[in-house]
Amino acid sequence: MADKANTTQAEKKEAPILVQMGIFAAVLFVSSLISPLFPPKFPVPTPVIGLVLLYLLLTLHIIKLEWVEKFADFMIGLIAFMFVPSGIQLTASLDIMKAQGLQLIIAIIISTVILLVVVAYTTSFFIMIRTKVFHKDATIED
Amino acid sequence: MQTTIITYLGTPIFGICLSLAVFLLGQWLFKISKGLFIFQPLFVGMVLGIFILWLMAKMFGVDTTWFYTNAYKPGGDIIFWFLNPATIAFAIPLYRRNDVVKRFWLEIVLSLIVGLGISLFLIYFLAKIMGLNNSGIASLLPQAATTAIAMPISGAIGGTPAITAMACILNAVLIYALANWLLKIFHLKEPVGMGLGLGTAGHTVGSAKAIQIGSVPGAMAAIAVVIISIVVDLIVPPFASMMGLI
Repeated sequence: MADKANTTQAEKKEAPILVQMGIFAAVLFVSSLISPLFPPKFPVPTPVIGLVLLYLLLTLHIIKLEWVEKFADFMIGLIAFMFVPSGIQLTASLDIMKAQGLQLIIAIIISTVILLVVVAYTTSFFIMIRTKVFHKDATIED
Repeated sequence: MQTTIITYLGTPIFGICLSLAVFLLGQWLFKISKGLFIFQPLFVGMVLGIFILWLMAKMFGVDTTWFYTNAYKPGGDIIFWFLNPATIAFAIPLYRRNDVVKRFWLEIVLSLIVGLGISLFLIYFLAKIMGLNNSGIASLLPQAATTAIAMPISGAIGGTPAITAMACILNAVLIYALANWLLKIFHLKEPVGMGLGLGTAGHTVGSAKAIQIGSVPGAMAAIAVVIISIVVDLIVPPFASMMGLI
């Protein structure tokens, strides 16, 4: 809980936004150098490495939360907008949609629901095992 | 005509303005409709953006894909690039709930491996029942991973990477628009599972949605995006060869 207590302390000073951007840029750059080291059969893209790297830097207390917090929240708040070009990219796939027809779209829609529901219920199952079989606590405070 | 289009619309600013315009219109529609799911800004932006590009291409008498690539893509790519730092940013909500990560790491990893395994079987049989050919089935299997992982794997197991990319995009748009409704009709209330599900099915966009629901679902969705990608890397190719796709 020590981590949580840290974040609520109001007197912690946040880093200037340009410094926060600098940390993000540095993490991204280092990640882009690591990504090509993975074999082509086992691709791990730059942002995934960057997420793990930044998480490790925070967990090991090399970077403080208030050095990156504000820019991170700002970026996450904009995700839906940043995804608009990906959506519009489907313009280039209109031909595929025509060729493959409606059944492909329907299969994708149902697959999305399958992934959400199956993963969520599998988790509930494992958490139930945790409480019922191993008698460990599974209550989470918000 | 084509050189005129490139001269006037070939700079990034057209794509940036169009993206902003359709998304802001979506936000406005979402607001005045009091949050009707069909008017989710991302969904409106996507549909309207495609429609406008298609219409403009028709008006200028050029191919739609050519018009997209030369007029929209330069600006779209700039916005798209910022998904890189935005994905990294999920380290922060994840770190904020490190207490949950430390307590449930085993359940998280097991759930994602087993959950994806079960999902692969269901998606495989669903695709078979719907009469998709082997290439179509292979394109659907890696969709839980982020696009940069899903596309090469799709190609490696005999799928079409472009279809896989389309699946990843539709995943995200659907989850962002329908998450609240889906959580309700399937009675998903437990925060860890909810978060892992949203991150798996909706990628980073699903994680952004999960953060709106709560700090625990948000952190769990962020960790799901990372781990599910690695799990897809590891189990989708063997699954595909087991099912005789490659």
